[in-house]
Amino acid sequence: MANRGVEEMSEDSAPVVLIVEDEPDVAETYNLWLADSYEVRLAEDGDEGLELLDDDVDVVLLDRMMPGLSGDEVLERIREGEYDCRVAMVTAVEPDFDIMEMGFDAYLNKPIRSDELHETVESLLERSAYDDLLQDYYSLIEKQATLETTKSNAELAENEEFVRLEEQIQRLRDELAGTFGGVEDDEEFIATLRDLNDGGDLT
Amino acid sequence: MYDLSTVLETDAVKAIGPGTSVLIAGPAMTGKEQLALDILADGSRDGEGAVIVTTNDQAETVIDDYRSRVGTDEFALAVVDCRNEGAGDPKTQSLDGQFVHHVSSPADLTGIGIGITKALQRLHGGGAERGRMALISLSTMLTYTDRETVFKFCHVLSSRLDAAGYLGVFTIDSGAHDEQTLQVLKQAFDGLIEIRETEGERQVRVRGLTDTPTAWAVL
Repeated sequence: MANRGVEEMSEDSAPVVLIVEDEPDVAETYNLWLADSYEVRLAEDGDEGLELLDDDVDVVLLDRMMPGLSGDEVLERIREGEYDCRVAMVTAVEPDFDIMEMGFDAYLNKPIRSDELHETVESLLERSAYDDLLQDYYSLIEKQATLETTKSNAELAENEEFVRLEEQIQRLRDELAGTFGGVEDDEEFIATLRDLNDGGDLT
Repeated sequence: MYDLSTVLETDAVKAIGPGTSVLIAGPAMTGKEQLALDILADGSRDGEGAVIVTTNDQAETVIDDYRSRVGTDEFALAVVDCRNEGAGDPKTQSLDGQFVHHVSSPADLTGIGIGITKALQRLHGGGAERGRMALISLSTMLTYTDRETVFKFCHVLSSRLDAAGYLGVFTIDSGAHDEQTLQVLKQAFDGLIEIRETEGERQVRVRGLTDTPTAWAVL
């Protein structure tokens, strides 16, 4: 886990957004809006989208209605492939389905405004940051528990590593609760749990 | 504030802040689940909402038991039934007037989250401004899912309950897991209620909710 953190920190590149959209004008508009802040990849259909998808991609903007593979089919393959990316589904009509059950992390109704698109991508990136933070937090909790089960209270109070660990844990706990607003709305809650399910090993 | 002192006679649980999540730990057959359900029933008698996430008992049994526990039919309960069976369509149903959501397995954390979300929406829509949630039990979840994932699940769920102003109680069989697992999991909660049995007497101790742990007292 520590390695992954170091890699991310040393990577100075912009987050990668993959746009899967069959209408060239629409795709180009999204590209114009996002290109300043992110590395953008453009795919004309679902097949190309899956070709351009790799572990570097942070957010996928996925049109639901496309010729060939539909957005739902692409989403299914993304989830099966266990990519570590967030998916925003773009729909032409207000979804009449139960969005919680659909497996995507956010949805946008066409036509999309620039500020809306930026907000959605940002919130999906923040959610990934929350997951990373939760991972770091868990690693510290494991270390703390190991010390607690192997040393006496008196030993712990004198143990510098343990004292430092407690401070780090407190700091991360505050950050988890504060920086990203915790897990306040239903969408975030479900998306965070979905990530646990994708990432967790079944015993 | 939530006052649990009618269920658990100690000042440590007289005023628990909304959004607090508590782990109830003890060996098998010491009444952890009964305590968790009594805590919920006490709130139901005051018109609060109640959510029970069950990994072991079917929704029907849970509702029947809850009715006799509360003592009236006047309560708002939502059950998230995550047993490994009985989950077909529809996922959501009304049973004896109470809301029930079925999840295919205790390993389906997303499904459990969706069930809890719908339960909270339903209870809130029904006018319950506050409420309590019980998850019974983490031990069963740990047989399906690794400790890391269960810890994160508890942390995320506690945050969600915090945002909703709910009180959460989660049960775990302390005899079924190693010390490291218990030590890790309790960190996902604000407080710990420990139950033990000595010389045929059930005793309870509360930690984390007050500055110092309470002494062991007869339950």
